[in-house]
Amino acid sequence: MTGVDRWEVLERIGAFAAGELSGEEAREIERFILEDPEGQRLAASYVRMLALLGAIGEETPEVPEAVINHALRRAYVSAFMRQAEEFFGGLGRAYLDAFVYYFGLKRPGTAR
Amino acid sequence: MTSPDNNLVQKAARGDVEAFARLVRNHSGLVYRVAMRVLGPQDAQDASQEVWLRVWRNLKRFRGESAFSTWLYKITVNTCLNAHRREQTREAREFGDEFPYLTIPIPPGGEYDPEAAVLTGERRAEIFRALERVRAEHRAALVLRHMEGLSYAEVAQILEVPDGTAKGWVSRGRAALLVALSDGNQDGESPGNMGGAS
Repeated sequence: MTGVDRWEVLERIGAFAAGELSGEEAREIERFILEDPEGQRLAASYVRMLALLGAIGEETPEVPEAVINHALRRAYVSAFMRQAEEFFGGLGRAYLDAFVYYFGLKRPGTAR
Repeated sequence: MTSPDNNLVQKAARGDVEAFARLVRNHSGLVYRVAMRVLGPQDAQDASQEVWLRVWRNLKRFRGESAFSTWLYKITVNTCLNAHRREQTREAREFGDEFPYLTIPIPPGGEYDPEAAVLTGERRAEIFRALERVRAEHRAALVLRHMEGLSYAEVAQILEVPDGTAKGWVSRGRAALLVALSDGNQDGESPGNMGGAS
């Protein structure tokens, strides 16, 4: 068996341990595991590793308040800037309209 | 998308910060948890902050074609993977003539019993150290599948790859993690504590 083949066997034992193999593929790996002590050891290690991953997955780490505060602060600042931009944009447009009207460049009430 | 999320997203997309605040509070656990598992505890906070910034900026682009949580997973994983863009491939793809001694020691009195693999702080730290040695994409796939408990279809959707690729990444991630954990045990960094009775 080449190194690549061995890696494939390792991955298939992992898939077997995770319960993701079925049919002939599962039986083939099962036979290998039963006949080969190394295969048994690998399968057992996978089962333990997956159990540990699952146990970590069950945990709910506490989110630092700084994460939430940072997100909200940025959103408030961004929303304020957006409103300010709209306000000053509107003001600028009003001045421009007045300027245009004052110099008679466009009659009032006509579309821009 | 659930209705409450839908309403909040629509309001937040129109600039309603209070609605955004509720989204952040409802889903900050998901973002921080995934960032911590993909990047490790040290970088999780910065990554989480970056995720929420991206969410705020891109809420208008969210069309509701998938669940909000799926969209959030996608942004979180992308943010974490970007942090590792320059990371080199760390997995050894080939073995020599024999398998290296890959094993997580069997707990005394708890042979082959997953229940006996009790999670201690030290063991958790060892898992995270080993995860850092797994290639970023494979690690993300592994986290989504075996820690978040998502289906392969969901993993594929979040990582934006075909189902087969998602399966392959999980499979390679599993094998690489086992190798990394076994290396850790052999190096004597934390001998025997992977399966030791606690």
